[in-house]
Amino acid sequence: MRILVCVKQVIDGQAPVVIDETGAWVKHGNISPFRMNRYDEFALEEALRIKEKFNDVTIDTISFGPPRVSSTIRKAMEMGANEGIHILTDEDSFVTPFEVASAIASYAKTNTYEIILAGAMSEDDMNSQVGQLIAELLHRPCATLVMHQEIREGGKELYVEREIEAGRRECLYLTLPAVLTIQSGINTPRYPSLSNALRARKAQILTIEAKDLNIPEKRERLTGLSYPEVSSKGTFIEGTQKEKAKKLLGILHEKSLI
Amino acid sequence: MKERILVIAEHHKGHIVPTTYEAITFALELNSLARAKVLVMILGKSVNGMANMLAETTGLDVLGLEGDHLEFYNAEQYKHAIEHAIGNINPLYICMTHTAMGLDLAPGLAVRLNASCITAVEGIKPNGGKLSFVRSMYGGKIQAEIIPELKKSIITLLPGAWKARERYPDKKGSVQIKDVHRGVSISRTFSVKESEEESLNLDDADVIVAAGRGIGTEENLHLVKDLAKIFNKSAIGASKAVCDLGWLGYKYQIGMTGRTVSPRLYIACGISGSSQHISGMKDSQTVVSINLDPNAAIFNVSNYCIVEDVTTFIPVLLEEYKNFVEA
Ligand SMILES: Cc1cc2nc3c(=O)[nH]c(=O)nc-3n(C[C@H](O)[C@H](O)[C@H](O)COP(=O)(O)OP(=O)(O)OC[C@H]3O[C@@H](n4cnc5c(N)ncnc54)[C@H](O)[C@@H]3O)c2cc1C
Repeated sequence: MRILVCVKQVIDGQAPVVIDETGAWVKHGNISPFRMNRYDEFALEEALRIKEKFNDVTIDTISFGPPRVSSTIRKAMEMGANEGIHILTDEDSFVTPFEVASAIASYAKTNTYEIILAGAMSEDDMNSQVGQLIAELLHRPCATLVMHQEIREGGKELYVEREIEAGRRECLYLTLPAVLTIQSGINTPRYPSLSNALRARKAQILTIEAKDLNIPEKRERLTGLSYPEVSSKGTFIEGTQKEKAKKLLGILHEKSLI
Repeated sequence: MKERILVIAEHHKGHIVPTTYEAITFALELNSLARAKVLVMILGKSVNGMANMLAETTGLDVLGLEGDHLEFYNAEQYKHAIEHAIGNINPLYICMTHTAMGLDLAPGLAVRLNASCITAVEGIKPNGGKLSFVRSMYGGKIQAEIIPELKKSIITLLPGAWKARERYPDKKGSVQIKDVHRGVSISRTFSVKESEEESLNLDDADVIVAAGRGIGTEENLHLVKDLAKIFNKSAIGASKAVCDLGWLGYKYQIGMTGRTVSPRLYIACGISGSSQHISGMKDSQTVVSINLDPNAAIFNVSNYCIVEDVTTFIPVLLEEYKNFVEA
């Protein structure tokens, strides 16, 4: 059985995000702290668990993006993915989920993956679209926000639970091949083992130029970026820690909360 | 072809999910800008009652799609049913909420109907004869304006971004119910399980002190617990990140897939303020947030913002509280 895991490199959530001078996209400095999208770590871990449970499972990992994302592909191989595929784009710019999904689907369609896994959302663009789009482009069933999966019927069917509102779970069967998007908390992603880390360091990453993949036109256009208005109701409490604490206690007392 | 703005209603146990009315508000706003009639679509095993209720309260036309296979939401069956029911309708916009259902359904439906797809939308702006849709990125630190390039668009709306209307036209809309056939059965939803977590009584709490990933370690949880203790009728809560890390059980999770709370006071400690978290606490009367990052999105929904390290600030706050009580 072959599994494909889609991974994305994102900027760490605590790093400042700056709109570039032209206003067309955000600026990433060389020192920006990039890492794997957390939801994708959960997806990769889930793939590794399938591999440990069944014989003959190989895991490929694929990422779409500029040269910097190869470090995230390597990280996935350090965690235990067998092969890495990089759909290489020139630079950082606004890309739509449809373009990314089309590129990945066009790679995946010539390969026989029983299961394609992606994170439920990317922490930067927050679209929650790529997995579902890949599924539709490849005419496969898809379940999002997956919190539990089990391969059944000797590999023909997948039992899945997806997390919906208020902690409820929808239970469904998907016929394989299928696509899942994984919700955070499904497992605890592992740290790379030393042997995998050594192997990954030497491993070749298969690089495919995005422009060779016939990616369709954008279906959505970005026309502006801005910083959100700080809510009018918000007051920043200033001073030393002690002063801030005193002011806050004063406010809470006034509101009869203490 | 009749041009329409379509709203896909969501329901649970025979009741319309309240965010459906937010999507209706949005659709009516689009209607005043794009000049196409709004049609509400509801899918299920037996939807006659809900369809009539919707038509009565909102004055909008409702199309119900029925079939035994639609008892539970299922992406494949919904896509199939919607695609076939659309018939001679030309939906300029298909609107639904960015819930577990909406985000699951929208992208695939967009491919099938050859539509643009924009998710988690929070605002509309007229833009040179077109409409752009505003959505957050980077955990709420950036807002993007997006224009659909295709003739049809599927839009999912961030829960809470639009308010349900209090008043609708006084007439009842038309109701039509159609039977739909099952689509290919490569996906079959057969049940919805309730949460296995025993529930916490957060509804009685006047004050909720919530922990986020920013508390740093599980050991630091005591800070949040100690802070909660200074209030009468208080409880602790958590972001999903904290529950995912196993620092607190999922019964403490506040947000879209956890609990919805509206205490008199909500104190967010080291929580970034993702839209999914905010949707569970935004109706709190007063929100105080403590976060190291001055640009954290949680500050956009807070009444009092404190840019500090929670692990050092809470001890100072507790110390000052002692002095305050003594004084
Ligand atoms: C479909 C779906 C449903 C979801 N449902 C929910 C839900 O119900 N509830 C929920 O909470 N999330 C939910 N999420 C997850 C959500 O998107 C966020 O990932 C999550 O809320 C982040 O939790 P956090 O703010 O604790 O962590 P982070 O986003 O990692 O933020 C940590 C914050 O702590 C700050 N910080 C770090 N160190 C310190 C320090 N020493 N002192 C002070 N501040 C510090 C940082 O600046 C940062 O702002 C859902 C996601 C999806 C896709």
